Order: sequence, then structure tokens, then C-alpha cells
Amino acid sequence: MLLLLAWRNLFQKKVRFAASAGGVALALSLMLMLDAVFQGVEGQLTAYMDNSGADLFVSQQGVKAMHMAASWLPATLGDQIKKVEGVSAATPLLYLSTTLKSKDKSYAVYLFGIAPDAEMGKPWQVAEGKTVPASGETVLDRNLAANLKLKMGDNLKVLGREFKVAGLSEGTGGLISSMVFIARDDFTQLRNNLPVVSYFLVKVVPGADPQVVAARLQASLSGTTVQTKDEFAAQERKLVKDMGADVLNIVNLIGFGIGLAVVALTTYIAIFTRRAEYGLLKALGARNSHLYRQVLSQVLVSVAIGFGVSLALTILLSFIVPLVSTNLVLAIGWAAVIKVILVSLIIAGIAAVLPVWQLGRLDPALVFKKGGL
Amino acid sequence: MKSPVLEIIKVSKSYGTGPTSVAAVKEVSLEIDAGQIILVMGPSGSGKTTLLLLLGALLRPTEGSIRLNGVEVGELSERRLPAIRLQQIGFIFQDFNLLSALNVLENVALVARLAGLKKEAARTKAQAILGELGLASRLYFLPEKLSGGEKQRVAIARALVNEPALVLADEPTANLDSKIGHEVMHLLKRIAKEQGRSVVIVSHDQRIKDVADRVLWLEDGEFKEIAHMATDPVCQMAVERNKAITGEWEGQTYYFCSKGCRNEFMETPGEFGNLAEVLHHH
Ligand SMILES: Nc1ncnc2c1ncn2[C@@H]1O[C@H](COP(=O)(O)OP(=O)(O)O)[C@@H](O)[C@H]1O
Ligand SMILES: [Mg+2]
Repeated sequence: MLLLLAWRNLFQKKVRFAASAGGVALALSLMLMLDAVFQGVEGQLTAYMDNSGADLFVSQQGVKAMHMAASWLPATLGDQIKKVEGVSAATPLLYLSTTLKSKDKSYAVYLFGIAPDAEMGKPWQVAEGKTVPASGETVLDRNLAANLKLKMGDNLKVLGREFKVAGLSEGTGGLISSMVFIARDDFTQLRNNLPVVSYFLVKVVPGADPQVVAARLQASLSGTTVQTKDEFAAQERKLVKDMGADVLNIVNLIGFGIGLAVVALTTYIAIFTRRAEYGLLKALGARNSHLYRQVLSQVLVSVAIGFGVSLALTILLSFIVPLVSTNLVLAIGWAAVIKVILVSLIIAGIAAVLPVWQLGRLDPALVFKKGGL
Repeated sequence: MKSPVLEIIKVSKSYGTGPTSVAAVKEVSLEIDAGQIILVMGPSGSGKTTLLLLLGALLRPTEGSIRLNGVEVGELSERRLPAIRLQQIGFIFQDFNLLSALNVLENVALVARLAGLKKEAARTKAQAILGELGLASRLYFLPEKLSGGEKQRVAIARALVNEPALVLADEPTANLDSKIGHEVMHLLKRIAKEQGRSVVIVSHDQRIKDVADRVLWLEDGEFKEIAHMATDPVCQMAVERNKAITGEWEGQTYYFCSKGCRNEFMETPGEFGNLAEVLHHH
């Protein structure tokens, strides 16, 4: 019955309730959405690793990721890799990061050089045209091509050389960087025909444990770092996390502050304006604990509804955004949801402190005094 | 002799300490029996509200003893007072003090719930009491939709739902027009006489004298004069016992406002019966 009262009190003042729940929703949405953006970027950054088909990545010793990294390996290393027990295939990959310019904007790209007979590391989904570029051709991310106003057959200048657009790939774009593929021989030429590659993508024989094969490779190849696909991807994600940590922390703090301020204020007002009724309840024999539960349930309902709305909003946005923006992907992770739930509970707890204190001090004798409450 | 429901002995209450302290109630003593209606009157600032707060266990006396059904209320710990208020005392206020967000039934059932009744039992009990007070058709109305008299009856139902021994009312008729105020007065009288509850009313309303068994005059925190009241069985007027015209019938003393009433009574005393019955028919 007291909960019923709390509920009614909450919904009787619709504007205040909407402000309260809406404020929380806004604040939590801020957190959820930014987290989803970063989660989306992480997904984009590891898309190549996840879809390359490789079980293991061999890079120059000490190079653990792709983004903002350069790796040089002798091209001849491939034969050595293939001899190691448990390896079924090794594909050399040439890679660098550069920028492409349209009229008014520049785009960061990952440039990959792949051989025509490459078993791994090719674009995994193509919307139009070829999958593997021949000499003088390029296959690039479809959205990037759109941004650069390029159609099939148009020319694209990469590292000073013209390439004809021969294919448009899907799922290869990103907020930070998009992928461009050219033929391995063209890439080598751009590097003055040096007999070097960036990475080797390695596939293990069916049934072999990638971890075991990785250890075996690491032991037999000097000057390299061998990682499983998951390790390699984790390194990439860590990079994003480290880069984004400050921004995320600031936004989380702002969200927390807004949410707390809104809920604390509206709850305080809600309780304060009804203090006569709470004083009456006390006089009639309600205990302080009864009244505290009133406050807590009001705060929790506001926060829970705010959280629900923010989650719904973020999910909705994660569907809408890809339709509107080409490179932005929102990915909602469990960790973020749980974090925001915890933040909500902390907000509720702190917001309840002042009203609880206020009700605890309320003198029930004031109900009998005119204008006393 | 039964022991009194409420017994207050030399109770004083001062607000504040030192030179600025105000003695609101001074060495007041009073006994109230079951079924008795006491009216406390007095000028503004005389300590009426303070007295009511003391009786309602909302304020501790500075000195003296307050016993409710033999329990020394003033000495109970703060934690035990809410239970005493819930179970032993019913409160009725000048401005009704209903919870605006709850309907009539919920307002009454809430107090029964607080006293530990299960949800259904609380509703059933609240419904029964509201029915007795003629509010059966108003159960699901919000307080704002009720007339003043209906609101006060809901408040009375709320005060009674936990079957308290003592009902305390602060100016219960002040916000009601005279006809409705009259009804409420007689409702309080019925509650006292039929249900055996003790009722203490603080009021300026002279008409409440009609239903009171005793009228106390509080001035400067002290009872100045205690008039023992009785009701004329013929015309229902309140009369002070020591000034009234008396008549004996079947070993009982009756009090009358005038010779006329006494003569009428004495012609056919059986028709008026005893006092309680007269009131019942009224
Ligand atoms: N909380 C309080 N603090 C200090 N003085 C008070 C307080 N409440 C009442 N008083 C004083 O005690 C006296 C009695 O007040 P009260 O019991 O309210 O009288 P009444 O109800 O008869 O008007 C008055 O002089 C009033 O000013
Ligand atoms: Mg007063």
C-alpha cells in the first residue's frame, strides 16, 4: 500500500516524473551510446583479423597490432613457416596505413597488397566487381568509394600511382580507417621492389591447436612475433580502449553528474512538496523505515525507467545510424549495460540520501500545527 | 470501578530551556474513562494543541505521567511510539489530512496495513467501516472529489480502523458548515457511546458542548474550571450538572435545561428511556 502511494505520488506529477526519468535517460544514453560507438570501432578495427581466415599472425618481432604499426619481414620467411609442423598455409600480406584525399576531406586507409592466389586476407564480401585486384586495379570499401565519389572503373590515386576501381567491398569501412586492396606486385613496386612483406597470415591444419602451432612457430622463427588471431585482435582492441579511455571517462563522469543531479533534485522536490503527507503518516504511526522505502522506490522507479528508455534509445539508434551514416557502427556490449546499471543504482542511492535524511528529521507533531509543515 | 483508559497526572510541558522557555501545559491532571467524550476549550495559545500532542504520544511531557491503558507512554522508547499511535490512538484533524494520491478505501486501508494487517484483510476492514459511516458509494473516489463532510467521515474511518481506545480530534468541525459539523459531532458521540472509545476533542465550537460528557476550560496551560456536563433527555441540550434542574427516575438522576423539559419527562419517563438509547434514536 505504501508502494502504491509512492507510485501514485510519482505519477501524479507527470511533468516532474518525465523530467526525472527523462534526465536519467539522457544521461545514461550518453554513456551507453559513446560506449557503443567505441565498441563499434573495436569491431571495425578487428574486422580484418576476424574475417581474414587466418588462425595465426606472424609479424616483425615486437609488433603486436596493425593499427599505427609497421611490420617488416623477409619475403622468404614464408617457406620457412610452411615447413613447421601443423601449418597448412601461409599467405604474405603487405600492409601500410596512409590517407586518401577527396576534394575537401582526407580519409585514413589501410592499404593491403594481396597476391592473386592468396588463400587468406582477401576482401570477404564484395558488393560489386572483383574480389582480388589485378595489377593496376584496386578493390576498396564501398562507403569509402562513395565518400570519394568513385564508381566502378574510375581512377584512384594511391601513393602517387593511379589504380582503376575494379571492386567494391563490404564491411571493410570504419570510423577511424577503411580498407583498400591492391595487387601484391603493385604494392612491392611502390616499395621499390624490396623483398619484404608486412605479415604472414597462417592457417593451421584441421584439428591442430593454434596455440600450440603458434608456440612452435615462435620457437623456430627468429625476429618474429607470432600471435593467434584472438591475441592479435585483443591487442588491436586494447589500442582503441587506451585511446578512448579519457574520452569515455569524461563522458561517463558527465553522464553520472547529470543523472545524479536530475534525480536528486526531482526526488528532493517530490518529497519536500509532500512533507505534510509524510509527517501525517509519521503521526499516524508509520515508521521511518516505511518512509525511507517510499523514497527508495520512487528513486528506483525513476532511474529504472530512465535506464530502460536509454537502452531502448541506444538500441534504436544502433539500427538507425548505419542507415544514415556510413562508417559509424553502434555496438552495445554487456559490459557497458552492466556498467550503466551499476551507475544507475549508485545514482539512485546517492539521490535518496537527502530526502531520507529530510524524512528522518520530520517532526510528526507538526501535523497539528497550522502551517507547521 | 474500571481503571480509566487515559490517566494523566501532573503533566507539564515546556518548550525550550532557560529564560526563553515557554510553559505550555502546567501540572495538568485528568482521567478519561471508556466511552467518555471530553471537550477541551480555551483561548488561542492556552496549550490545547500541546495537550493533544502529549495525549497522542507525539510529544513527551517535561514532567508528569501519561498512562494509556496502564502503559506509561512518556517512558516508552522512540521506537515503540509509532506502534502505540497506530493501535491505541486515532487522530482526526481540522483539515482532514487525507492522502491526495490515494482513494477513500486506500486512505483507510493504508493505516490498517501499517498496523500489520494483510492487504485483503485491511481492505475488507476499511470497507466495512466506510460502509458504516455511509461512504460505501465513495470507496474509489479521490479525496479531492469529496465534500468536506465526506472527507471528515473518511478521516474518522481512518481514525477508527485500528480500533483505538482513544480518539483525539483537533477542531474537527472548524472546516465544515454547521449542519455537517452537527453530523460529525453526533458521529463522534456514537463512536464513544456505542463502541466505548474515549474521545478528546479540542475545539472552539460551542455546539460540541452538546455531545460532551465533560467540558474542560484550558487557560495559560491550566484547567480553570471543570464543568460536568449532561444532556437533557428531552431537548438534547447540553447542561452543566451543577446548574441544571434535576429529576430522579428509577434510581437515576436526570438533568434538564428547564422545568418544562423536566415536567415533560416526568409525565412519561418510559418514552425517553435511558440516555444512551435516546442518543441512539437520534
Ligand atoms: N514548538 C513550539 N516551540 C515553542 N513554543 C511553542 C511551540 N508550540 C507551542 N508553543 C507555545 O506554547 C503555548 C501553547 O501553544 P498551543 O499548545 O499551540 O496552544 P493552542 O493550541 O491552545 O493555541 C503558546 O504560547 C505557544 O506559543
Ligand atoms: Mg492549537
